[in-house]
Amino acid sequence: MSELVLETEKLDKIYKLGGRIIRALSNINLKVEKGDFVSIMGPSGSGKTTLLNVLGCLDRPTSGKVILDGVDVTALPEKELYKIRRYKVGFVFQTFNLLPYLSALENVELPMEGTGKSKREMRERARELLKLVGLAEREDHKPFRLSAGEQQRVAIARALANNPSIVLADEPTGNLDAKTKYEIVRLLGKLNAEQGTTIVMVTHDGAVASHARRVLFLSDGKLLAKEKMGLLAKEKLVCPACGREVQADHAFCPHCGRKL
Amino acid sequence: MKTLGALSRALKNISRRKIRTLLVVVALGFSIAIMVSIPAGIMANQEFMQRITENFAKTITTMQEEINKTATLIECSTTPNRGMQTLRPGGFFGGFSQTFVDETIVDEIRSIEGVKNVIPFLEKSSSENISETINTPWGSRTVYRPAYTIIGVCLNATIIANYPILPTNITAGENLSEGDSGFILISSNLTSYFGANVGDAVEINGERFVVKGIFESSSQQRTIYMNISDAQRVTGLAGKISRLYVYVSDASLATQVADVIKTMYPELYVTSYQDRLANLQHMQEMYTQTLSNAESSIAQAQATATHIIIIAVAAAALIVFFVMLYSVRERTREIGILKAIGFSNWNVMSQFMIEGMLIGLIGGVAGILIGSIAAPFFSSFLLPQLNLFGGTQRLQRPFQTQYPGIIGTQSYSTVVLTPQFILLALCAAAVLGALGSLYPAWRASRISPIEALRYE
Repeated sequence: MSELVLETEKLDKIYKLGGRIIRALSNINLKVEKGDFVSIMGPSGSGKTTLLNVLGCLDRPTSGKVILDGVDVTALPEKELYKIRRYKVGFVFQTFNLLPYLSALENVELPMEGTGKSKREMRERARELLKLVGLAEREDHKPFRLSAGEQQRVAIARALANNPSIVLADEPTGNLDAKTKYEIVRLLGKLNAEQGTTIVMVTHDGAVASHARRVLFLSDGKLLAKEKMGLLAKEKLVCPACGREVQADHAFCPHCGRKL
Repeated sequence: MKTLGALSRALKNISRRKIRTLLVVVALGFSIAIMVSIPAGIMANQEFMQRITENFAKTITTMQEEINKTATLIECSTTPNRGMQTLRPGGFFGGFSQTFVDETIVDEIRSIEGVKNVIPFLEKSSSENISETINTPWGSRTVYRPAYTIIGVCLNATIIANYPILPTNITAGENLSEGDSGFILISSNLTSYFGANVGDAVEINGERFVVKGIFESSSQQRTIYMNISDAQRVTGLAGKISRLYVYVSDASLATQVADVIKTMYPELYVTSYQDRLANLQHMQEMYTQTLSNAESSIAQAQATATHIIIIAVAAAALIVFFVMLYSVRERTREIGILKAIGFSNWNVMSQFMIEGMLIGLIGGVAGILIGSIAAPFFSSFLLPQLNLFGGTQRLQRPFQTQYPGIIGTQSYSTVVLTPQFILLALCAAAVLGALGSLYPAWRASRISPIEALRYE
């Protein structure tokens, strides 16, 4: 874990709203290394989504730099940014944002269009990803026939379609019930642990945030100096009941069966 | 791959909004149907006029030849002459009051110097009428005319052999011959009226006649030929005649003899070779006039057509424009998603343009379907100037009544969509779809992904 995937330098984002100046992001200096899973926690209105949009090239900062995979994306012209979004970034949204008229498989294939992959390659990759998120059996279902948790899994599979350098998850559990949200955050943890996927997740939910490797805090557009170690960062995950090793995506201890 | 994906998404989007698609396709279909029907209608009319012009030239030549053959014939009739009808005995079909003259004038005229022979006829229409329904694309009309016309001819062997007084196209039985009394020759379309065939007896005004022969005739000719003495008796016109063929010994005497007859019998309508030539010329002039009217009508129609087509094109493009604009607005969030996952502005734009083209194409197919059924209706409804040969208005009647032989059985111009028109319609529809969706698609491509994703 030494290669930097994402780095920001003195990132500022200022909005003007009816004569009022709103400082949404202020002097953000963030470093994310390859294979990291960072949670950024903060109350609503703290600038979490703005930060994620700037990191994902959906929005431009007022000043400062975003360096993604060694490329200063803030210096790129608008018409080049789609390539960054296509190949370097995978987005996971709070509201899933699947296209309602496409099946799960087609939704996952969507970002691969125009990347030079053949239809067969796209299909194989999409199937592989759906299998990875545990939805192999539901590839032909349209979003409305999937549960909220399943829709978010499809969205995660879609985010991984082009093997991005980083996955940006904006409140991925915000629209899910208590049980499902842990499933999703464990899935993200598993992807990070097993596939080495670099993830930046913003959330207001401390319990969800704690499943990452590092937890950062955002308040009034400023990144606080304190940093917490997340569950994933601990050398080993152990069951609090029996003390034996468990995996990040385990909902129940495989040894004693206790709910984790 | 990108295009295929975009095409499949476009199809899905179109098919998931069925009612809207249906309305758009019907509206586009009508626009495109109008676009193709009108040029097709104009072309059909031009072709038809071409055909009529050719037929007319042939008819004039034939008439000229016929007139030349009858240089020694002077025709005298108690009813006004109607163009060239007199060249075909029995061509009359009534419709005006009939008058008759004493047959003694046959001998009086025969005694005029230069007259070689005089052949009398008695023509009398039946008092019974038949109704006929004429079907046109605009409804049917009913006309009444005499059920039949009796023509009494002088059955003399020398006359039959030397002059064209009887029909020659016998289809069953035999022609009338010298001295035949109690026998008749009927036109083919009277067999069903009388329910009689060769050898059967037919009752006319209470008297029985045996059908000796049947001759092929035009649909309008309902004629019975019989001995003139039988005709005079059965019609109650003893000693009367209605028409005379006067033959002069030399063509150069025709005008002079005609003048003498005109002076002696002012009640007769006298037509000589010169008169027939003049008639032919008059007819030619009238026809030329009618044709030039028709041509100017077509030219006028073309000018109107251009306007209508421009309106139809604009309407089609506007329909696509508004539908796509609405669609872009409705799918703002989708545009945000596409951009967030790496679609370029061009990818988004082409997605919407493909959709517009597809809607256009489906509209084009609908237009062809509507057009192939309703093209004649569209072209004549929108361009009444074009109802030259097909409608009930304008020039149709003069054409049909003055020149039945020229218009013939093909009295309606048929508007058909040729493969070229179909191809043209499809191309035009796709181009209009693309044009109409150009601005909405461009707008879609400009939407900021952040704003689009916030859009509810």
